[in-house]
Amino acid sequence: MESILRQRVMRRARFSDSVRMYFRTSGYAEVDTPVLSPFLIPEPAIEVFRTEYLPPSGPARPMWLAPSPELWMKRLLAAGAGDIFQISRSFRNCEYGGPHHNPEFRLLEWYTVGTGYLDSIGVAEGLFDHLIAQLVPGPRASLLAPPFLRMTMEEAFFRYADIDLAGCQDVLSMRAAGEANGASMTGASTWEQAFHIAFLTLVEPRLPRERPLALLDYPALVPTTARRRPGTPWAERWELFVDGVEIANCYTEETDPAALALLVQDEEERRHGCRTSHEIDRGFAGLFPPDFPTCSGAALGLDRLEMVFAGEKSLEGVIFFPFSAIVDGQSGTEA
Amino acid sequence: MIKASDVAKGTFILINNQPHVCTERDYVNPGKGSAFVRLKLKNIKTGSVLRQTNKVQDNLEDVSVEYHEVQFLYADSENYAFMDTKTYEQFTIPIEGEEEKRDFLKDGENYQIVFWEQTPIDIKLPTKMVFTVSEAEKAERGDTVSGATKVITCETGLKVKVPLFIKQGDRILINTETREYQERVNS
Repeated sequence: MESILRQRVMRRARFSDSVRMYFRTSGYAEVDTPVLSPFLIPEPAIEVFRTEYLPPSGPARPMWLAPSPELWMKRLLAAGAGDIFQISRSFRNCEYGGPHHNPEFRLLEWYTVGTGYLDSIGVAEGLFDHLIAQLVPGPRASLLAPPFLRMTMEEAFFRYADIDLAGCQDVLSMRAAGEANGASMTGASTWEQAFHIAFLTLVEPRLPRERPLALLDYPALVPTTARRRPGTPWAERWELFVDGVEIANCYTEETDPAALALLVQDEEERRHGCRTSHEIDRGFAGLFPPDFPTCSGAALGLDRLEMVFAGEKSLEGVIFFPFSAIVDGQSGTEA
Repeated sequence: MIKASDVAKGTFILINNQPHVCTERDYVNPGKGSAFVRLKLKNIKTGSVLRQTNKVQDNLEDVSVEYHEVQFLYADSENYAFMDTKTYEQFTIPIEGEEEKRDFLKDGENYQIVFWEQTPIDIKLPTKMVFTVSEAEKAERGDTVSGATKVITCETGLKVKVPLFIKQGDRILINTETREYQERVNS
């Protein structure tokens, strides 16, 4: 009989193979891009890992471990690579433990040219259908099966927190709405913090779990590279929740250099509150040529997806050497 | 003060001048947002439950508590009775709200009790404890499928799923947080 460890090794290998098979047969080319970067896109919500390159002579050069492959994959995309996907090692510092975080993790990122964020829901649903057929997750299949539920963020706030999100476009009104509905908002000094505290306290715990949920149209006030829906306070963005776990994040990508330059400038300023600093990717805003078609990009936490498909409650159920075990000095995985 | 990121299950903090114990703690880092901890807190005086979300860098007011070594004496219909092993003073803690701990309290066994302002507020259970199997059915011959389990009863009434080879009189190690069997203990 196979050992439990052998079963886990085989399960993980089959899972990765199945993901690759789906994208390859769907017309996406697999790419690989650097993990070691001399600069990064400024993202104030992410703390990063710093290291150094030592040339044969001369001073050391600071380098950073990429928290996602976005800056390199967008260079390929902008240069005409077409539909691409990657399973990359990604690194995020200052993760404080818990079952759904590991400072080193696998990110599945894919870009589709000529489509918007809503089309990408279909790509993700196709991936789930393919994985269910390949991996036969048994009774859990109903929790994972497409079609995904679809709900806008505005509807979710109205339904679960009785908050008119469109009417809360400044920090004071967002804080007041959260307080009025029972959330402690004392720590919220910015709109983004107030929104997330209200969302995490009042809305997210009540989101439906019977099928995967695509939560659509995030507030444009949360700065991202998602394109804004013209004339609305919403960004063309969805996040995917499976069994209550946040799995993926997808945009219609902003390609306008002026809008991206503003975003980079704003994000660079907000990074001053971070514990870690890094060189800024100065070329990011001007990557896309003016006639670049609409495109959609999605980033999916592959270890988390494997966890929910395997019916595990923690990433430790799928990662062989979780960070907590490595830093505690344990040498291996339990057989 | 204590950083929100350092609050763990079992940490005591003061909210609106009321002592609370953290019963659940969830680290969340939204795709494009700040990092937060989502806490479930139980008011020690009233038993009411409060859920709140804090930025990881928020400072919270911690509660200064004392730990006393005590011996468990008995439980009646309403209270658990203990004796302080240093002062020999006896005191009780209401069972209400702490019912799930009854299965882990062994007569004559030593435990730690948390005191806040001279009042006992919480019973700390060791993460792992040894129990004796008081009732166990014999495994059926031929029932040897790998991973098969049966339910046994321990001396406190605790019921646990164990492997088929465990028999009456065996001593077993139990995780008190998950209520799961860990291993057989050689006596």
